[in-house]
Amino acid sequence: MPDPISQIIQLVTSTYFLEIVVFPGLISIAILGALFTWFERKLTARVQLRIGPLYSSPVGGILQGFADIIKLLFKELIIPEGADRFFFIMSPVTALIIGAALLGLIPFAPGIQIANVEVGLPAFLAIVTLSPTLVLLAGWSANSKFPFIGGLRALFQQTAYEIPLWLSALGVVMITGTLSLTAIVQYQQNNGWLIIPQALGAILFIVTSTAEMERLPFDLPEAESEIMMGWQAEYPGPLFMLVQGPAFIKLYAFAALFSTLYLGGYLGPAIIPPIVWFFGKTIVIIVAIMLFRSTFPRVRLDQLLHQGWTTLLTLSIVNIVIAYFVVVGVPVI
Amino acid sequence: MTDLTFLALATVTVASAILALEARDLVYGAAALGITFLGMAGLFFLLDASYVGAFQIAVYIGAVVVLILFTVMLVGPQLGEPPLELKRLSLLTALLVSLLLGTAGSLTSAAAFPGPDNCGLGCDLTRLSITLINQYGVPLEFLSLVLAAAVIGALTLAKADRKE
Repeated sequence: MPDPISQIIQLVTSTYFLEIVVFPGLISIAILGALFTWFERKLTARVQLRIGPLYSSPVGGILQGFADIIKLLFKELIIPEGADRFFFIMSPVTALIIGAALLGLIPFAPGIQIANVEVGLPAFLAIVTLSPTLVLLAGWSANSKFPFIGGLRALFQQTAYEIPLWLSALGVVMITGTLSLTAIVQYQQNNGWLIIPQALGAILFIVTSTAEMERLPFDLPEAESEIMMGWQAEYPGPLFMLVQGPAFIKLYAFAALFSTLYLGGYLGPAIIPPIVWFFGKTIVIIVAIMLFRSTFPRVRLDQLLHQGWTTLLTLSIVNIVIAYFVVVGVPVI
Repeated sequence: MTDLTFLALATVTVASAILALEARDLVYGAAALGITFLGMAGLFFLLDASYVGAFQIAVYIGAVVVLILFTVMLVGPQLGEPPLELKRLSLLTALLVSLLLGTAGSLTSAAAFPGPDNCGLGCDLTRLSITLINQYGVPLEFLSLVLAAAVIGALTLAKADRKE
């Protein structure tokens, strides 16, 4: 029988463990999260002709995200008196677990994928549907007006974007004939990027996923200027960090999913390694979503619901028709 | 390993189902119902029916639990034990449902579920879709009635409060 220490060493050095803990798992997410928080603030500042973070390091305040993490971690953990403690603490923790589960499904490079599930795409979208429920529970548990309004807004918003999101992804499934994310990438290796036949679907997907991520212009549940961060309003320092974590992970995971579905994932000329291709595409999408934030004004809830149930739904059905013609071929009259 | 996973999932599913019925706070009940559905999805994954598992999460938690939570929160939490009459009624319902299910189970031949038709890696989605529409079309339609039941349940919850 092998001694426990060598067993532990064997576990720690196994590929699976490294994938979950180091890359593409937890440590890389934390570092990227801190860097992208800085990057987003800097980018938004540049777009709005401000300077942005400056003092946290010699190079343009690049360590601002890490400084924020340290600051938030050492704040006092105050839980409001009337709050429902169980849901108040469990909601952000569960949201973080859900976010991590999303990244487990993405094929980052050939062989670098934590869980190669045969129903990767619906599994991703299904896991995502859990988060508005958690937002609602978090808003309700704070036992305060603005968080509760934010939670209800998250739920209303879900009814507006959820169906167009699934339907826009359906176009890809119809063309590739598979639900597995790895197989979708392999299809694009032989047939070219799917953004060409699915341009409408890609636009719909990025719009609806921006709504899913609760980012501007669809950040109704946490609208700072209306309801003061909405459902996050009552969260104290360390828990606030846990609330912000899933928000970034969802941005990262959705950008990764977009590049997997429409931009060929890790595919590209072999001069550059696949993982660099993947991150290049993902970062382009992340920057695009960040630019939405710094350029568009917030929509109203009724506008979002109306557009979701009319324009977005109609366009996603049109996209399915397009996918049908791509699969079957345009009939010659 | 599979047995251990099954036991854990089954325990979580049954325990949270009991909690969903017995919780005094309706919000806790709805959340427990969500955990029950998650456990069910896990059981589906364990049975290699990952397609069903993914949609179990999407439909039941993404739609049904959200609908129930929404209603509960809009009408406000209802505290206290349900009246005894309701408990007897629910016991009767439980008996009837289990009788019905048992009869259906004993009448159904094993041939009704042909083979492990799982959608493994490199499975043919087209074939799955054809099977789903042709062979299982009627059960699929009946399953969709569950959503209608959820809507009716949510409406009932909302309406019951308005009377008071």
